[in-house]
Amino acid sequence: MKFALFLGCNIPVRVPQYELAARAVLGLLGIEVIDLAEFKCCGNPIRNTDYKTFLFMAARNLALAQKEGLDLLVLCKCCFGSLKKAAHAMNQSSAALEEINAQLAREDLNYTGKVAVKHLLSVLYHDIGAKALKEKAVKPFHGLKIATHYGCHALRPSDVTEFDNPVAPVIFDELVAATGAQSLDWPLKLECCGAPLLGVNDELSMSLTRKKITDGQQAGADYLCVACPYCQMQFDQVQRTMSASDHGQPLLHSIVFPQLLGLAMGIDARSLGLHMNTLDISNIESFLKQEQK
Amino acid sequence: MYSILLYIALAVFGIGLIYKVSGWFRFSLGAHVPNMTAVARLTAACKGLLSVAFSPKLLTALRVLLVDVLLQNHIRKQDTLRWVMHMLLYAGFTFLLFTHALDKVIVTSLYEKYYLALNPFLLIAGTMVIAGVAVALCRRFILKVSRLNTSAMDAYLLILLAVIILSGMAMEFTKLTSYTHYQTFWDIHLTACLVGLAYLPFSKMFHILTTPLSLVANAVMDGRSDPANIQTRQIMELDACMHCTNCSKRCSVAAAYDRLGNDKILPSERMAFLKEYVSHKRLGARGLATIQKGIYLCTNCDRCTVICPAGINLRDMWFNVREEMIQRQPSVALMLTPFSYYRGLKRPALAPTQYNQPLQRAKEALAAPFAQVADTKAVIPLSAANSQFKKAAPLVGRTGTYAFCFTCENCSTVCPVVGAHDDPQQALDLLPHQIIRSMNLGLKDLVLGSRMLWYCLTCYQCQEHCPQGVKVADIFYELKNLAVMEAADFAGSKNLVGHASKTGH
Repeated sequence: MKFALFLGCNIPVRVPQYELAARAVLGLLGIEVIDLAEFKCCGNPIRNTDYKTFLFMAARNLALAQKEGLDLLVLCKCCFGSLKKAAHAMNQSSAALEEINAQLAREDLNYTGKVAVKHLLSVLYHDIGAKALKEKAVKPFHGLKIATHYGCHALRPSDVTEFDNPVAPVIFDELVAATGAQSLDWPLKLECCGAPLLGVNDELSMSLTRKKITDGQQAGADYLCVACPYCQMQFDQVQRTMSASDHGQPLLHSIVFPQLLGLAMGIDARSLGLHMNTLDISNIESFLKQEQK
Repeated sequence: MYSILLYIALAVFGIGLIYKVSGWFRFSLGAHVPNMTAVARLTAACKGLLSVAFSPKLLTALRVLLVDVLLQNHIRKQDTLRWVMHMLLYAGFTFLLFTHALDKVIVTSLYEKYYLALNPFLLIAGTMVIAGVAVALCRRFILKVSRLNTSAMDAYLLILLAVIILSGMAMEFTKLTSYTHYQTFWDIHLTACLVGLAYLPFSKMFHILTTPLSLVANAVMDGRSDPANIQTRQIMELDACMHCTNCSKRCSVAAAYDRLGNDKILPSERMAFLKEYVSHKRLGARGLATIQKGIYLCTNCDRCTVICPAGINLRDMWFNVREEMIQRQPSVALMLTPFSYYRGLKRPALAPTQYNQPLQRAKEALAAPFAQVADTKAVIPLSAANSQFKKAAPLVGRTGTYAFCFTCENCSTVCPVVGAHDDPQQALDLLPHQIIRSMNLGLKDLVLGSRMLWYCLTCYQCQEHCPQGVKVADIFYELKNLAVMEAADFAGSKNLVGHASKTGH
């Protein structure tokens, strides 16, 4: 299996542990990822103010993957949603597709819809399978309670993202369960992390983040688990800033899914970048040790 | 005669050098600049230099000098052809400088009988420079490396370089055969060299001094360094930029430039602008709007900083310049989008008013054309329906679905933003279902002026839960696009952007 790896803008600079862990896990699972240096911004942030530029920026990435004959493996859920929406829009409207292709032609690019856009979680679930992952999890967790955070732009709008059942999704829970950890049911599981409004309306953004964290903690979770750099920054860097200004302690630390999976697969913490998280998550390894006794 | 010319050239070079270097201590960039005199900045720089000289950082500096300055490893890692070009020019020229231009000072003092009728070393070095110029021309005009724009200065310098070397070589060849020809070439050669010398501090060739400085400074400095020195380094970095445009080639949002044509989106063009801007800080209304939009359209992905062969810390440069620009009044609609995420993360580094005011201005500018929203007491006339607004062709096919709404209010019920407020109407103006309903009534002002649009998380809960298949979140995106256009027209008509303040402070 071979994919073009789409990292987006945030992961390499602000959540490098996500990339590190994803590469380690994918390598061990025999999934080859190719880096295309020409990949650029997915267009997501500009969609608010300039739809056509968004479409062009997203389509350019799709066209680059098509040129290489590769499907996309996306780590960021906002990038994923953005690329999916662009692909959907061009699939729906031949006029939009033509207009975009006329612009892409200046770079010798062309998009005809031949690229599948997949999120890391979909690849792990559909192409590898939770059952196969369970077999690979040679050092499973024991007694670890995880609050899985699905992330909006993968789940919704479901007719476009085709990720999972939007009201009762299972993919992420089953993947977490494959590591031996228990994926909890918690009321705000499918809610937004608050990231899209950071920098725009910080009070609102942080109140939503705080609500989720408190809810997860009340459900009895040991850790939050995410598969998106924005969600991770919100629960990691921003949670630390928030608790520092409240003179409180962070309530629920967050781990990126490939870090969780990697630990269960026996990959060492350093190769998964556990030390790169802002909030310390090293204690999660103690849930592995109990199993070994 | 020639000594007079030499002294004039040297004087121009010296004055240019002093003018340029003093600028590093006189000028500043950023909204929050330590209020210091140039002398205090110079003192701080000397202290910084001393502290590096007597610390392990000296080793770092030496390593950078060897690896990145002498061997140009930075460039080799990125682009071999460019490295070959640069090494040919740089090694050839350095050799010529020491063994030929300064031969009386250096070589003859070591080796008295240094004189060759036809010096093969000079020819080899000259050929290297010519080959370098050839590669440079090839990259610009045959390979047409993308986004490598050729300015007048680029052209002058390449011509000047070619004239110096070709006349020098002709001089060598005619030395034994024709004295008159030799004399002519000597005149051309010397004049060209002196022009080059005098022009150096004002041209991009100044980078032969500043780029090594930037590489070393960035290797030994970090966020904990004296803010005065960070400021000084930043201004010096403007001179270290060669306008090689590597940053723009790698820029994450370069594709937006291809569509919008605002060259301030591209890092290399921002640098060219800043070089000119930093000394006087004058900016007209249109200039301000262009740089504000260009510099805010940045995902802060750090690629430019990672790739810069001069080691310039572009990440901090953009952060500071962005703050300066948004403090200079008018407003940027992009502030109300995820482009603000990085600024949100950096909030602790900014003073509260400095952080909030530009955001507030952006919100006000977007609401300004739609006064009806703010006046909650006013009676909305039923005949006000704007049928044109209803008929406006949707950008996305899906957005016409608002007509299916039967006002069940599901969208507002599931909206986490509505749920986060005790009095949502007071904080958001219209709730999601009210926006959709108002669209059906053609109440354009209410729809486009609602703060709800800009406080929408785009989490798509509303859209997913609509029993009628109204694409609520997609509609909101489109309304935001429309509101931005209307606000720009409104500001233009009111000439609100007519008076950009003179300084950013």
